[in-house]
Amino acid sequence: MKKIIAMLLVCVLAVSLLAGCGSSSKSDWETIKDKGKMVIGMTIFEPMNYKTDSGELTGFETEFAKAVCEELGVEADFQEINWDNKEIELSSKKIDCIWNGMTITDERKENMSISDPYMQNKQVMVTKKENVEKFSTKDGVKGAKVTAEAGSAGEEVAKGDDFFKEAKYVPADAQTKALMEVKANTSDIAIVDYVMSIGTLREGSDYSDLAVIESKSFSPEEYGVAFRKDSDTTKKVNEAMQKVADSGKLKEIADKYNLTDLLLLKSK
Amino acid sequence: MTQFFDVTLRLLEGFKENCFLFGMTLLMALPLGLIISFGSMSKFLPLKLLCRAFVWIIRGTPLILQLFVVFYIPPMLTNGDFSIDDRMTASLVAFVINYAAYFSEIYRGGIESIPKGQYEAGYVLGMKKSQIFFKVVLLQVIKRIVAPMSNEIITLIKDTSLARVILVEDILKYAEDYTRVNGLIWPVFYSGAFFLLFCGILTLLFRFIEKKLDYYKG
Repeated sequence: MKKIIAMLLVCVLAVSLLAGCGSSSKSDWETIKDKGKMVIGMTIFEPMNYKTDSGELTGFETEFAKAVCEELGVEADFQEINWDNKEIELSSKKIDCIWNGMTITDERKENMSISDPYMQNKQVMVTKKENVEKFSTKDGVKGAKVTAEAGSAGEEVAKGDDFFKEAKYVPADAQTKALMEVKANTSDIAIVDYVMSIGTLREGSDYSDLAVIESKSFSPEEYGVAFRKDSDTTKKVNEAMQKVADSGKLKEIADKYNLTDLLLLKSK
Repeated sequence: MTQFFDVTLRLLEGFKENCFLFGMTLLMALPLGLIISFGSMSKFLPLKLLCRAFVWIIRGTPLILQLFVVFYIPPMLTNGDFSIDDRMTASLVAFVINYAAYFSEIYRGGIESIPKGQYEAGYVLGMKKSQIFFKVVLLQVIKRIVAPMSNEIITLIKDTSLARVILVEDILKYAEDYTRVNGLIWPVFYSGAFFLLFCGILTLLFRFIEKKLDYYKG
């Protein structure tokens, strides 16, 4: 009797490992349409997606995504994700798109389906307010400690740009950590993206003694929305984004968050 | 001062998630661990090998990876048909499996440390195997494993903060949000105080339990 029970247990375990290997034939967009909602993967990152004091989600991307989803006739369902896991979240269908100021790169284009670029961004230097003058020139940067998020566009600038040839590079594990390094005087300059710095360096934050060196910027980049590879949703969203731009709504949202200068998608 | 108060409340809200994960994991992993320990001591070879292989795999891979496997692999293999969508539930599954494996080895050590003579004495008195286990052996086992168990359980409350990799909104997630979003640095370090306090209470509790069990001569 005991042996039979044990044998059964083994079988159940084996079967449960293999269970549920079916596959659906519906296209990506049809699945989203049937669900009635598009799950939007994002991180909290001012001014793109952030929470107001009352806990409500708002920001440029939040409003833009809502407007596009309205155009598509589905509900926008925002899911906060861990940015490092965005690709795995997307391919495991926990989210339907990554919509959070994501820079379009060739590698990402290869692995995901990416929408038309809608906004532009650039890398800027952030330093202590009193050092802004000093670090505006190549001579000033000589011997300075420069930090950026490892693997980010900022790192490429710090390592590759001629401007930093005689500076010393120290990696940080996030853009905010890079700013923290500057604040703690362990680094002199942080290279972060401009959109991020608008949200973070403001009066009243711990970073209010830091400032952007406005006179110089590096490696312009473009933002896009990422979908699963070969997804038919990309085309639908591209059309809807253009409609939102044509109606003037996109500019209206960008105005609200001071991002109008960076907008790429214009009304035709 | 109001900021300190707000942060404390917010971190406390996150710490509730840690406590929930801690409590539910204990509730399920403690009995499951005992079942697995029986499996790995079984005389039926396939079951014994299966349980030992299970313990080997779970103890031999990082918990952070197991969280990913539970949360992301089923929908990837089944094209989204089978998936645990709730992030807390997925973490709970991973934690229960992981801790049950560790607990099972602690149980096994405890059970195997009881002298064989006690079983033989039980048989002589005409007791059944289950009677011997529950009436004679189990309490002695509990006494012997309190110290190694308290070690694992204290590790568990700190491990719960790993669940934030699949975005369970725990205390460290909120603390890191303060750094990322508000530019505040101190909440990350402050969150340590919550764990320290919790572990302090656990330590006192285990000392109390050990004292209570003191009269069983092991």
